[in-house]
Amino acid sequence: MLESTLRLLRFRGLLVTLVQRELKARYRGSVLGFLWSLVTPLILLAVYTFVFSFIFRPRVAGAEPYPLFLMCGLFPWVWIATSLQEGTVSLTASAGLIRKAVFPTEVLPIVAVLANLVHFLLALPVLAAGMLVGRALDFPVCGWSALGLAPIIALEFLLLGGMVLGLAALNVHFKDIKDIVANLLALLFYLTPIIYRLEGIHFPEAGWAQHLGRVVSLFVRWCNPFTPFTEAIQETLFTGSWPALTLWLHMLAWAALCWLLGTWLFHRLRDSLVEAV
Amino acid sequence: MSTVIRVDGVSKLYRRMAPGYHLRTLKSALLDGSLTAGLRPEETIPALRDVSFTVERGEAFGVIGSNGSGKSTLLKILSGILRPSSGTVEVAGRVAALIELGAGFHPEISGRENIYINGVVLGLSRREIDRRFDEIVEFSGLANFIEEPVKNYSSGMYVRLGFSVAIHTDPDLLLVDEVLAVGDEAFSHRCLRRIEEFLARGRTVLLVSHSLGLIEEFCTRALWLDGGEKRLLGSPRRVADSYRQAVAEEEGREHRRAKEARESELGQKEAVRPAEGEAPAAPTPQDEEPPEEEGAILRWGSRQAEIVGARSLGADGVERYHFVSGERVTFEIDVEAHEALSNVVFGVGIFTPRGVECWGTNTHIEGFVSARLEGRATARVTCPNLRLAPGEYLLDAAVHARDGNPYDYHRRILTFTVTSQSGGVGVYYPEHEWSFGGGITWQAQPE
Repeated sequence: MLESTLRLLRFRGLLVTLVQRELKARYRGSVLGFLWSLVTPLILLAVYTFVFSFIFRPRVAGAEPYPLFLMCGLFPWVWIATSLQEGTVSLTASAGLIRKAVFPTEVLPIVAVLANLVHFLLALPVLAAGMLVGRALDFPVCGWSALGLAPIIALEFLLLGGMVLGLAALNVHFKDIKDIVANLLALLFYLTPIIYRLEGIHFPEAGWAQHLGRVVSLFVRWCNPFTPFTEAIQETLFTGSWPALTLWLHMLAWAALCWLLGTWLFHRLRDSLVEAV
Repeated sequence: MSTVIRVDGVSKLYRRMAPGYHLRTLKSALLDGSLTAGLRPEETIPALRDVSFTVERGEAFGVIGSNGSGKSTLLKILSGILRPSSGTVEVAGRVAALIELGAGFHPEISGRENIYINGVVLGLSRREIDRRFDEIVEFSGLANFIEEPVKNYSSGMYVRLGFSVAIHTDPDLLLVDEVLAVGDEAFSHRCLRRIEEFLARGRTVLLVSHSLGLIEEFCTRALWLDGGEKRLLGSPRRVADSYRQAVAEEEGREHRRAKEARESELGQKEAVRPAEGEAPAAPTPQDEEPPEEEGAILRWGSRQAEIVGARSLGADGVERYHFVSGERVTFEIDVEAHEALSNVVFGVGIFTPRGVECWGTNTHIEGFVSARLEGRATARVTCPNLRLAPGEYLLDAAVHARDGNPYDYHRRILTFTVTSQSGGVGVYYPEHEWSFGGGITWQAQPE
């Protein structure tokens, strides 16, 4: 575990170079350039705002103004989803490189996470603009609490990094992993409190729906690693308060678990990657 | 002298790709760090079997062997890309490897960035690469293309950049695969000069090549891998010669097999023919098959007389297809006349695979007059010392009328190989010796 981490630190220069080229390559020859990294979250934002403000009108307490609330969960989710999808296939996509070169393979999944982190950071001004509008309308949105975003992102980076290291190494052996990831992400989007607030949901008081509701909300609370991160970002940006200590510990636990498990898995599978890829 | 490479009992197994092994190979990869530890022997393919050798500092060590003999696997193990399945490998110092075309380059990024990445992976700091950057670009001759993504490079450009980075990262050990053959002549020479300088500074080179000449000229020792096993290790000349001999013998066997197959096929066709005459309305499946393309182009004539066999024989009268230059060789041609013919001429010609005529003659040129041919016959031409240069040769045989009308002209009827003790190029290998006068002294001379 430690070895993979140390190698990543040793090859940080390589990481930076590869992230730069990933970003450059993505926008080479496009007119809008990096503005494209804003398009996906903005379209999602527009669609969900429309659907939940005019069509469904859910009873989501404490999520007003809804577009601002949605933004705080949606933008980080785009980072999560793209990192996991690109990271999972990062090794199989670079099979030629891995087979032929003395190359620190662990940088490849991490590059996917970092490149998408940059896209997320580029979308932050949009978030900031939204918050300013919110303040102007006298909503108690963020102030200094926004500084909490930095440690949250750091922890979330460890979470995603660990996940993609493990998933990418497994995907070399089972090409099914990438499809499983894609489908799980589609499901997890709804099992993460992005378009709703976990506390704001009222399940029916009786019958099987009550039990199902309880199971689902327990799952969202304790089994979904993305829940605490999403909630923490919503707290710092939307609610404008510093996340509680328990939430920090919750994030730390998931981040540490995923990083250790991912680096361990990668380290165990490293020697077989060259042959299996 | 210190040891730079120590390979001790190294074996490498690859797994056979078969359905259902996935879970087991993943399990053994997780538990043992190896894909093949949990597989039974029949589920694996051995690429290297118990190979041991050491390479000392300052050596130029050559590795030869046919395709699939394990050369590349060995190189990948030495460079650290692959782990051996068993045995140990110790490599002292910094290693730079030029393994396959474009190895180590990220196709999407520019040559400039690749130089940095390659350098970092080889253990240089950014500042060290900065210092050598101009030199690397100059040596590669790619100054105009250095900002282009590497995927747009030609294969020659790949090799030039790869070699340039590898040699300028100042490794203690340079591993070079066949890649140098891809560059143009001028660049190959430049590389070889550079490798010589490199060796002169007490560094070590391990070179894998199919060019036996290069190995003989360049290396201090050579290893011959055969089917993953160490077949011979020793002076490059001895190893290369044994290898040539083995290849020639194999080719001879192959040729005999091909000839036997052809003859048995001919026998079958003859057996079919009478049936054809009896029942013309029902063509046999064989008749529907188109004639063999190659045979059609390589053979022509009226077939009033037919060549039914050809072989080459050694001095002892035994059929063989590899000779040492200067040996006594006999070519035998069996013919069969379907009618009585007069004024028959027999001819032979020796060609290189590229079609250069080395020698040709016929009975008419040499003054034999008016042969009469009936039924089966054999013509023999014996060369008491066939002084061909080392290489592969093809024999043409012909039976024709004196006016030149061919009865049967058979191109490439047989293939044979010539080797020699001392090498040389071209088609002719005269008996010769070197002598020197004046201020010439040799460090070493052939025995």
